[in-house]
Amino acid sequence: MRTLPQPGAATLLVVISSTCLLLFLFQKMICLVLPMLLALMLYYSLRPVVKALVVWGMHREMATKAVCLLQLILAAGILVLALVDLAKTGTWQSSFDRYLAGGQNLLRKTTVSLEKAVPMFKKMSLGAQVDQHVQQFTDEFVEKNLLPMALQLFKWLPSLLLVPYITYFMLTDSARLKKYIIKSVPNAFFEKALLLFSHLDASLQSYFQGLLVLTILDAGCLALGLAVLGMANAVWLGLAAAVLAWIPYVGSVIGCFMVVLVAATDFPDQAWTAYACLLLFVGVRILDDFVFMPLTIGRKLQVHPLFSVLMLFLGVTVAGTTGLVFALPLFGVVAVIGETVSQVVADPRLRARYRTARQLAVSCERP
Amino acid sequence: MRFFSADTDRQKVAMLKRIPIFHELSRKELFEVNELLHERVYEKDEVVFEEGDPGHGIFIVVTGKLRVDPSHELFKTAVVDIGPGESVGELALFDEGPRSATVVAVERTVTVALFQAEFSSLLMKNKNIGVKVLTEIGRTLSRRARQALLHEKHIPSL
Repeated sequence: MRTLPQPGAATLLVVISSTCLLLFLFQKMICLVLPMLLALMLYYSLRPVVKALVVWGMHREMATKAVCLLQLILAAGILVLALVDLAKTGTWQSSFDRYLAGGQNLLRKTTVSLEKAVPMFKKMSLGAQVDQHVQQFTDEFVEKNLLPMALQLFKWLPSLLLVPYITYFMLTDSARLKKYIIKSVPNAFFEKALLLFSHLDASLQSYFQGLLVLTILDAGCLALGLAVLGMANAVWLGLAAAVLAWIPYVGSVIGCFMVVLVAATDFPDQAWTAYACLLLFVGVRILDDFVFMPLTIGRKLQVHPLFSVLMLFLGVTVAGTTGLVFALPLFGVVAVIGETVSQVVADPRLRARYRTARQLAVSCERP
Repeated sequence: MRFFSADTDRQKVAMLKRIPIFHELSRKELFEVNELLHERVYEKDEVVFEEGDPGHGIFIVVTGKLRVDPSHELFKTAVVDIGPGESVGELALFDEGPRSATVVAVERTVTVALFQAEFSSLLMKNKNIGVKVLTEIGRTLSRRARQALLHEKHIPSL
């Protein structure tokens, strides 16, 4: 069989630049990108259910409507339950202050213990210094970051209403949309374009389905562990931490920090509970890397570790938090497109076939 | 503006019914198949695919004519011209092996293409369609194989 030329360094540069440009654009229109991404995730998760219903004999449109309705009921149920639970804990501001004080208390206790165990720390007055720094950081964080973050969140929330709407139309019209796009591809590149779509579809499906299964497994393990430790709202904490883990590397740390704060506040006299939560997170992280990820397969988009780190740094630089979340999946998708396009561009036979076809089309149009 | 018109779908389904491979399919099944078919128009002398290319799908002629130009002697006798209703590149539905011949449009030709991955997903979803389409493809392949063997043994075709 005729083999196609392999992509080189120039392709890689174009892929990295295109990813950075897209990340920049994504940041500018995050209100649209976020629901699109969530809809894509739901689409790939619900598509097998719709297919199964069709195989059982249900009409496709009916199956799509039933699955979307079920998804809406489920989401509404989770939201109501979460709001009811949150309402029990008091106002958001008072809860935030309470958890922050709990965290500070834990830190104080830890430094006191350290000062007792290591006299050098006492000489350095470690406790006082840490206290001062934490207080300074907390004041600055609340003043500079918390309010803009809360405002940003409220700006995003209404756009999430688009998620079920987009998911429904993806489930009903994705095949037609694909045909519509393929129609604009010249004959010479037609089979390559179809192959590209097929690869992208398979990559995205394995990524999103894997991510969802991984989230359920992580949430289950964390919720079970937290419940055993006697934490209230173990399910919600586990779920929130598992969702936060969608942000590569940083997400797990934020999730762990959040749960440790809650543990330190709920059990102010039992510092070991907070430490146990920390150990639980490390344990689940190890389980995640060595057992769950290989089981769920898809999460990896076969990106080299060096490029993973490079893209994360570039993502943060170009688009901040948005860049951190989207850098890796976007790089994976752009790499597949870049690889196929470079093969087509570097293939003289395909290019020649395209040129001839254009000439033939022009000569046919002439009277 | 109507990007995904249902009217054109109905016309295409009526056209598909006239193609032997899809002849046995019901109207509902034809609508399902139509969602996976890609219409391509080739000008006179335009190459559809070349020998040695990795094969990813089957092309069915709707109007016009395609010419098969294989380098292997055995295939030269099997089939030369592919007219309306006939198909080319069937083997690509079963594996992604190299194309065994170059196919060129003899005149302006309208084809519909069915991609291997999409055909596989259709087989999973609706085995009934798969059985009907594969039976027709099997008939075409066996007819061509018999034709080639008869010529190889210098036996006149019946």
